[in-house]
Amino acid sequence: MVARSLVSVVDDDESVRESLPDLLREFGFSARAFSSAEEFLASKYLGRTKCLILDIAMPGMSGPALQRELKLRRLDIPIVFITAHRDKNICADLLESGAVECLLKPFSDTALLGALNAAFRAK
Amino acid sequence: MEGRTENSDEEIKRLQRGMNDLVSLLALPAMWSVDDSSQIGRTLRDVLLSMLNLDLVYVRLNNSAGAKPAEMVGIAPPSTLAVPPQEISDTLKRWMGDDPQKWHPLVRNLLGHGDISIVPLSIGLQCELGVIVVASRRLDFPDQVERLLLDVAKNQAAIGLREARLLSEQKRIADELDRRVVQRTRELAAVNEELKKEIIERKAAEEELRRSETFLAEAQRLSSTGNFSWRLDTDEIAFSDELSRIFEFDRDTPVTLERIAARVHPDDIPLLTEKIEQARRTDANVNYEIRLRMADGAVKYLHTITYRTRDLVDRSEIIGAVRDVSQRRLAEDALGKARSELAHMARVTSLGALTASIAHEVNQPLTGIVTNASTCLRMLAADPPNVEGARETARRIIRDGNRGADVIARLRALFTKKDIAVEMVDLTQATQEVVALSLSELQLRRLVVRMELSDDLPRIMGDRVQLQQVILNLLLNASDAMSNVNDRPRLLQIRTEYDNDKVCLTVQDSGVGLDPQIVDRLFDPFYTTKSTGMGIGLSVSRSIIENHRGRLWAASHDGPGATFSFSIPRAPALEMGATGVGTNRTRSVMDAQQVVRSQ
Repeated sequence: MVARSLVSVVDDDESVRESLPDLLREFGFSARAFSSAEEFLASKYLGRTKCLILDIAMPGMSGPALQRELKLRRLDIPIVFITAHRDKNICADLLESGAVECLLKPFSDTALLGALNAAFRAK
Repeated sequence: MEGRTENSDEEIKRLQRGMNDLVSLLALPAMWSVDDSSQIGRTLRDVLLSMLNLDLVYVRLNNSAGAKPAEMVGIAPPSTLAVPPQEISDTLKRWMGDDPQKWHPLVRNLLGHGDISIVPLSIGLQCELGVIVVASRRLDFPDQVERLLLDVAKNQAAIGLREARLLSEQKRIADELDRRVVQRTRELAAVNEELKKEIIERKAAEEELRRSETFLAEAQRLSSTGNFSWRLDTDEIAFSDELSRIFEFDRDTPVTLERIAARVHPDDIPLLTEKIEQARRTDANVNYEIRLRMADGAVKYLHTITYRTRDLVDRSEIIGAVRDVSQRRLAEDALGKARSELAHMARVTSLGALTASIAHEVNQPLTGIVTNASTCLRMLAADPPNVEGARETARRIIRDGNRGADVIARLRALFTKKDIAVEMVDLTQATQEVVALSLSELQLRRLVVRMELSDDLPRIMGDRVQLQQVILNLLLNASDAMSNVNDRPRLLQIRTEYDNDKVCLTVQDSGVGLDPQIVDRLFDPFYTTKSTGMGIGLSVSRSIIENHRGRLWAASHDGPGATFSFSIPRAPALEMGATGVGTNRTRSVMDAQQVVRSQ
């Protein structure tokens, strides 16, 4: 059996941390949720993560800050940003800096699946 | 016989001459002037000298008022001797003594060459009117007829002098009377003049009084202020014109407690009764506001100040001033309404600023719902269907749906216009709700939010939504102040605490700080340092806090940035039980995230 690819979710919102991993598992991925960037960076799953679903606005280290940190660590993990803020400029900047996709909350399962497919294609 | 006839003829002639003389003497008074007694003396002297062929007549007339007697002397011609009467008088006295009464009526004395007969005649019984002394060298002087004539002359003189004296006395009395009348008239005229002056002065004073009364009435009218006095023993009440006008009382009908009570708004009668009792009991000023309800249903607001005093005759009296403050009250009501409109406007303005935050708050649970629903459908579509997993995701959908509804309810509470609703407010809880709504906005602006919220604050009485509006305003201001800060953490500290019977909230930023020159103007309406602000936030915030009997102020602090704080007195003691008396002042340092979770 092929080991399922690990998709990690980093979001300070509990609803997202609860619901998103279940959907990812329905898609056939392995999933882990973290409540902050710091928690993710400290976890053993950092190196095994094949795709990162990352909230933009969080207390402490923000999503974009984590993106920069990963670049510094030369960890090339495809990132799908998710945000409840409808700010097109932020999304454009993030895509410019290498993000795979920027999804506005709430997003559909197909939009998420499309983003994940794009992420794994890029890999 | 012939001799007898001759004698008889001679006798008849002598008698006839005597009769003539007598008639002459009796006619004398007709010649006398009533007001010149010396004329009586002079005529008597001259008449007697010639009538009786005398050698010397001396007349002394006593003056009534004790003045020097008038003396006159007549000497028969051809002598041209001018003897001063005084000398004659002195000589006579030397001869016969001082008192003519004691002179012998007929004394023959030697004077010069030959004898002389001297007859002193008393005018009046005791010489009180004067003396006439007649002298003749005839030895038979006076004969019978001459004596008779002398007596008549003497009596005539007495009558004439008495009359003259009487007249002169009458005249003197009349003159005195005239003099007194003149003097009295003069005095009366002076008094009259004085009175006239007094009347003029009084008129001026009355005019002055009338003028100041007019001024007072005018002042009362202009200031809508009337006054009254109320005698406590008789319940006599006097209203000034203006007060009658305020009460719309007919000025001619006496004011009574009943008439006043009929005008006072029924709801205010207990208050009036209480204040009247208070005014009766105390010497201190009693200050209150009551309403009148006029005949046409209009309501007037009266501000009344009374005090108890004593009048001039020591009777208890209540004096009061009453001001019609209806206009002011209406203006205050209008101001309150405008303020509330402004507060609502400020809320709507900050609603715009919070749109992103609100979208975030709503989108979070929506994300959960959509994701869970997708998962649920996929679980049910699997073969075999994962019913247990689907049930779990459906439960999460319900929970997230409720969470979204809560966000909407909070928003509605914060941004719906409504009248002031006073309730017991826990400031920490109210702050947590506001932070929860705005947190994502604050995070988006890359603010580090640090909260030190006391978890056992005493409650305050107030309008929760208005207070939250103030808190939100302070948070947004702090956030704006740090928007250009890139060289240091954008630290936003929110603190609630209890100190000295007051509940206090402090919002501290690390932004641009306050220019000391503008600190005073910060709270002015429409003053703003921001390019996009309307400048009503702080002014409205301050008026809200002041309506809660509190204080809102700004201060600088160590390091960059500014501190805004407000404090509000804790609710009255009655309500303290519910809050644990606020003695426990432990603070919980809370992670911002925990606040969101607690919602």
